[in-house]
Amino acid sequence: MKNNLLVSAAPHLHNKESVSKIMWLVVLSLLPVGAAGVFIFGVSAFRVIILATASSIVTEGICQIISRRKVTVLDGSAALTGILLAFNLPAQAPWWLPAAGAIFSIAIGKQIFGGLGQNIFNPALAGRAFLMASWPKYMTAFTAPLNYDAVTSATPLALLKEGHALQNISYLDLFLGRRGGCIGEVCVAALLAGAAFLLLKGYISWHIPLTYISTVGVFSYCFGGRGLFSGDWLFAILSGGLILGAFFMATDYVTSPLTSRGQVVFGIGCGLLTAVIRLWGGYPEGASYAILMMNAATPIIDRYTKNRVYGYTLKAYE
Amino acid sequence: MNKLFHEFFKGIIKENPTFVLVLGLCPTLAVSVSVVNGIGMGIAATFVLLGSNVIVSLIKNTVPARIRIPCFIVVIATFVTIAEMTLKAYSPALNRALGIYVPLIVVNCIVLGRAEAFAQKAKALNSFFDGLGMGVGFTLALILISAIREFLGAGKLLNHAIFKGFEPAFVFSMPSGALLVIGLLLGFFNLFKRIKQ
Amino acid sequence: MNAGQFLTIFISAVFIYNVILSRFLGLCSFVAISKETKPALAMSLAVMFVTTMSSIITWFIYRFLLAPFNLSYLRTISFILVIAAFVQFVEMVIRKVSPAMYRFFGIYLPLITVNCAVLGVAVLNIDMFFVDNRAVPGSFWYSAFQGVCVGLGYTLAMLLMSGIRERLELCHVPKAVKDFPLAFIIASMMSLAFMGFNGFRL
Repeated sequence: MKNNLLVSAAPHLHNKESVSKIMWLVVLSLLPVGAAGVFIFGVSAFRVIILATASSIVTEGICQIISRRKVTVLDGSAALTGILLAFNLPAQAPWWLPAAGAIFSIAIGKQIFGGLGQNIFNPALAGRAFLMASWPKYMTAFTAPLNYDAVTSATPLALLKEGHALQNISYLDLFLGRRGGCIGEVCVAALLAGAAFLLLKGYISWHIPLTYISTVGVFSYCFGGRGLFSGDWLFAILSGGLILGAFFMATDYVTSPLTSRGQVVFGIGCGLLTAVIRLWGGYPEGASYAILMMNAATPIIDRYTKNRVYGYTLKAYE
Repeated sequence: MNKLFHEFFKGIIKENPTFVLVLGLCPTLAVSVSVVNGIGMGIAATFVLLGSNVIVSLIKNTVPARIRIPCFIVVIATFVTIAEMTLKAYSPALNRALGIYVPLIVVNCIVLGRAEAFAQKAKALNSFFDGLGMGVGFTLALILISAIREFLGAGKLLNHAIFKGFEPAFVFSMPSGALLVIGLLLGFFNLFKRIKQ
Repeated sequence: MNAGQFLTIFISAVFIYNVILSRFLGLCSFVAISKETKPALAMSLAVMFVTTMSSIITWFIYRFLLAPFNLSYLRTISFILVIAAFVQFVEMVIRKVSPAMYRFFGIYLPLITVNCAVLGVAVLNIDMFFVDNRAVPGSFWYSAFQGVCVGLGYTLAMLLMSGIRERLELCHVPKAVKDFPLAFIIASMMSLAFMGFNGFRL
């Protein structure tokens, strides 16, 4: 009733979309990825996903009760953060790892900034970076694909970093996810299916994923090989967490730029940082760090790419 | 006598240099990886604070106001050099652990801040107790932060393991963990202040 | 002296051992002045200028005065005095030459004297590029370049932080963590993100 008495600013559009609905649809689009992860790595992957999601929702509720805000644990955002965090963990993670990561993601990554829509950094990636810095031993113990006896194997990128040749892994293996890695990053086919759904429904735009992925491809092609212009660009695109990051993490509404121009800058920045860390950094994969760094730069990007207000010159608007 | 006690105790809680005045954070964060380092830095800084506070309040009438800051800095730097040489001679391991943060006590805002805000207007005895109180407050804050960081980051306190089966989170031994701990502690202190009011 | 060494200095000073996020130097000015972008940038430029110049000056002092006469224990005193005098001098020059620039930088310049980053980079140069009181080959250029890079690292952290804090002005941050505590927590996350450059090598 109260809302009906307020005059809101134009445009007065009515639409069935709500934040909560979009969040749950993104969760839906991630279902095939989760299913693929469980198929590839076994039940332990399912356990990690459930633990991370449940801990996220519980943490969100506790934080909201403590800070006397409205409790909105079922709006899907906490669940989404938990699922994305779980997708960034290895399947054999001990039970407290997803829980600790989810608590950090929600409490420090999101609620301390004021909750939904106010955070600066992608909560799931902040949680992953925290876990990576805290317990690197558990974060890099990956299980071999389709082998449920907890045999550990390195990711293709880690093998490459250590200077091993990649012989028995084909592009098809990479595309379908027959490789070691985090739960949600291995099956590119499922990721692309979910991403296509989001793109078609218009929940994410093509700017960030396209510029991000193509920058990584071009950079790897130019500098990734033995000489110039001889890098394996397809391998660079299909391996690591690039596809997961580009479609589901970098496109987070809250932590990426608002305008399409800004998003292009953001995507290219993410791509350059990812490729540079992969080629010369100490870690085999740089997607999560690249996105976090660009998250930090998002307010500055927004500032310099904001659209001109009709009737103003850019200078006068400053 | 009462006044001296007041000068001493205010530095510990009411005007704690780290948590209330938010001064001198560079060394606080950098060396608080372990409690031993924290105590070492605390003692060194307390020594410098005591010395500079007393000397500054003794020379306050001879120093012209316009060049007082450079004069204070020379006084402080002298005591820092003494502390540096003593550390190097008697405890080389601690000196290595504290690294460049020992010479950097010179630019620790607490020391110059107390000289400027208190010692140059007060009697030597009062300045002595003010310096002591601030130094003890700083040391206690360092011990608190370094205890949290050493426990969470290495699972130890004063180099003794506490629990079996506790997986320490390395991040708390890293710079990022230091910033997180100080941020959360400041938040908690704010919260207490607001609840008290 | 080779190009790789310079690149290593650049990456390590700007990202891995960022003055603020990893070495905690200049933290006071970082949290105090990073509320808005314009003053933050002004401060950063001033710091960059002073770190560069003081790296150069203190290198000469150490190389030609302190090291040959075995006076290295006077390092702290002499460096801080020279830096203070230099900052004072710059302030006077700017005031005479360009009143507009003085208004822009004016209030930040005196603060720089007690900015740990400036003395920090001077001491660090001596620790890194002098072995047993002898300058390593190319040590002068390394020192000067490290001065520039530390300034750049400071600028980067300031720029990102001020942008973030301007945006947070519009957010409903819990009152207990408003301002200082949240600034530290954001810095902590930036530090986590910059860990991506750990172990960088060419």
